Amino acid sequence: MANVEQLLRDKVEELLKEKKVSCVIGHARGSTAFRSTPVFARSEADTDGLIFDITCGNNLAQYLRRCDRAQGDRVGIVAKGCDGRAVVQYVAEGQVKREDVLIIGVPCEGVLDHRKVRDRVQDRDVSRCRVDGETVVFEGKDFEVSMDRSDVLSDSCKRCRYPNPPVYDVFITEPVEAAPEKCGRQELEKFEELGASERWAFFEKEFAKCIRCYACRNACPMCYCEECFVDQSDPQWFGKSTDLSDTMLFHIVRALHTAGRCVECGACERACPLGINLSLLNQRVEREVRERFGYTPGLVPDQIPAMAAYNEEDKQEFIL
Amino acid sequence: MSKVLRLDKKRLDEFVAALFSRYRLFGPVDSGGLMRFAEVESAGALRLDIANPDESAKGIFFPQTETLLTGNQGEVVPTQEPDRPIAVIGIRPCDARGLLMLDKVFGTGEHNDPYWTRRYRNALIVTMGCSTPRAGCFCNWLGSGPFSTEGSDIALTDIGDAILLEPRSEKGMDFLKGIPCEEASAADLRKAADIKERAESSMAGKVDVSSLKSALDRAWDSPLWDELTGKCLSCAACAYLCPTCHCFDIQDEKASGTNQCRRIRIWDSCMAPLFTKEASGHNPRPTGKERLRQRVMHKFNYFVDVYGEMACVGCGRCIRSCPVNLDIREVLVRFINAG
Amino acid sequence: MKERMDSTRSHQEHKADDKRAERTETRNSWQPRILAFLCNWCSYAGADLAGVSRIQYPPNIRAVRVPCSGRVNPIFILKCLQNGFDGVLVSGCHPGDCHYISGNYVARRKFAVLKTVLEFMGLEPGRVQFSWVSAGEGEKFAQVVTRVTEDVKRLGPARKLVKAVRSSDTKD
Repeated sequence: MANVEQLLRDKVEELLKEKKVSCVIGHARGSTAFRSTPVFARSEADTDGLIFDITCGNNLAQYLRRCDRAQGDRVGIVAKGCDGRAVVQYVAEGQVKREDVLIIGVPCEGVLDHRKVRDRVQDRDVSRCRVDGETVVFEGKDFEVSMDRSDVLSDSCKRCRYPNPPVYDVFITEPVEAAPEKCGRQELEKFEELGASERWAFFEKEFAKCIRCYACRNACPMCYCEECFVDQSDPQWFGKSTDLSDTMLFHIVRALHTAGRCVECGACERACPLGINLSLLNQRVEREVRERFGYTPGLVPDQIPAMAAYNEEDKQEFIL
Repeated sequence: MSKVLRLDKKRLDEFVAALFSRYRLFGPVDSGGLMRFAEVESAGALRLDIANPDESAKGIFFPQTETLLTGNQGEVVPTQEPDRPIAVIGIRPCDARGLLMLDKVFGTGEHNDPYWTRRYRNALIVTMGCSTPRAGCFCNWLGSGPFSTEGSDIALTDIGDAILLEPRSEKGMDFLKGIPCEEASAADLRKAADIKERAESSMAGKVDVSSLKSALDRAWDSPLWDELTGKCLSCAACAYLCPTCHCFDIQDEKASGTNQCRRIRIWDSCMAPLFTKEASGHNPRPTGKERLRQRVMHKFNYFVDVYGEMACVGCGRCIRSCPVNLDIREVLVRFINAG
Repeated sequence: MKERMDSTRSHQEHKADDKRAERTETRNSWQPRILAFLCNWCSYAGADLAGVSRIQYPPNIRAVRVPCSGRVNPIFILKCLQNGFDGVLVSGCHPGDCHYISGNYVARRKFAVLKTVLEFMGLEPGRVQFSWVSAGEGEKFAQVVTRVTEDVKRLGPARKLVKAVRSSDTKD
């Protein structure tokens, strides 16, 4: 991975020097060794801080839409599979022009869920984090904790079917092998075995924790409406308090609004300050759109999004 | 102040039972993996070992959703508060200090907030000192520390086989009169002092923030704002988990098909774009930069002008919970250094 | 399907019959309240046809006329559930017959996803239903309403997602 980082820095430095891009959106080390933070490299000096490793969980695509740039400037983005899919979906939705983005693919084998790490290191300061095969080692002052990668990986990464950006301009080293057989949908399948009232009780319990901070919505690359439905005041559709009905409806409608658009990056779950299981609804919607409409978002830049299209032969078994 | 008392760990339940007899008791609990403050019915539910639950204690006295009054066909009924006062046990010094700060906003001056005061003024705050501060804690920067007793009625220290109880107010002293326990020995006090010293030295390097306010006075147009705030998502995670943030909105809601309605107060955050959006559509804080600048200025500059201290207790929740790991410590240090 | 009323009876006699029936019903059982979004060109006309043809169907629906089934935002359906409706019906033109060419096709996709989400979460299937009823299908309209009313009646009053405006604070 150290090799990847150096190659990445070199490539970004080259792109900036040759003015191929005005800015590159990437990751830098965060306030502790197991967190990263988004960074905007605009000069060669800025490239020193660029990293790419197992801590780089943020979905950077959303910064493309608000990155400061002049007309005609090209912006680079360090893209894991999910970031790349988000960029492709932006092109499909007319949010960004393909030629305005330079996608720098990086080999991703999953990213950490920092809350899982925090729990396992008992909130102590971690000064170093390294990956050793299937083990991740966290070191701090007088301690070292080793964990199985699967214990600290973000749940979305365990389901990932597209680790490489489907479209890219340059790739740092080689795309990783996708391992579809590893990408179980077990969580979803297991959940569906529960009865209706158990499922409802689960969602009530999860969403009762929600504090309506909208970190999930704001971290999501697909939530980019100038005015979100929860912020509309004329009419105000739903209450803004933590009333359970209003809160559940926020999450339900957000799942509907991201139907056929969610790129399964898990940014929502990682962003939630309270660790709510947010992606279960999105997983179910993703499967429905894929099975019913044959559409997977973020793979083909010029494919019309499923919910903006229709097929005269769409199944209608549920209609009287 | 008064003498420090000592309670064997196995008698802690007695102490808690005494709290139950006079108060509605709140404390840190594990709520399905989420650490928060909640009302407890038994000592067993308390997790006094949790140093700083994910959510702060402000929600006990300033709930996120609070019904101020209900109405029906012109008849208005203000909400009543239960007779029993509130006690909080296991609250850490940072959160207790946060409550004191909120009391400056809600509880003082000509227009104090009756919803706040009727809860907080009668409350008993039983703090627990932090023997192992967490990664991200920086209370020591802000004139506090893991064993600070500001805002505490009774300050507890866990010395292993026993708990030391230090009354810090009349209310605290009164309550302890009803708990038979011995005075702490010199050895006990030395142990406590050791634990305190170790905790304080374990915290990452302290930064001198005395020049911060004046640096911020001159920083309105600083290019640092662009650099530091570009990644901010403008969510409200930091504000809602913060022990001192206190902005709120008031809304009226009506039950469909009836005349039953209620007025609620709910948390709001200056980080949300909607916070300053005007009816014309103009927004004086249009991007994350203006909003984050506002938050930093409010907490570390304007609050000093109005209340004489920075509205931050260094609990570190904003740092841990921020989805993009925007570290407020970095922001403060950059402005201090820029001068 | 209820039989057509004898058209030789007077208007007043019909009204008296209805009132008696209503009192009996409210005495005996709870009546579901169902909101029906009906597209102007097909389903609303079909409902009208049922009316002028004196076809009987349960009185539990309140109709909201929309220009097209595609106008129905899933948020409307969810608001109905939040506000206490026990069931929601959305009815539009048959595929291929939409007055706006493709409104019902787009609606069909939206409704499929909405129904999936609600049933996945554990909301009772049968509370939110969809139909295609054309302007000439008065009989079908009555059948659909009868069927939906029976389904909702079996499910009982809606409780999930209903927002109560109580005096107590909502979190905790």
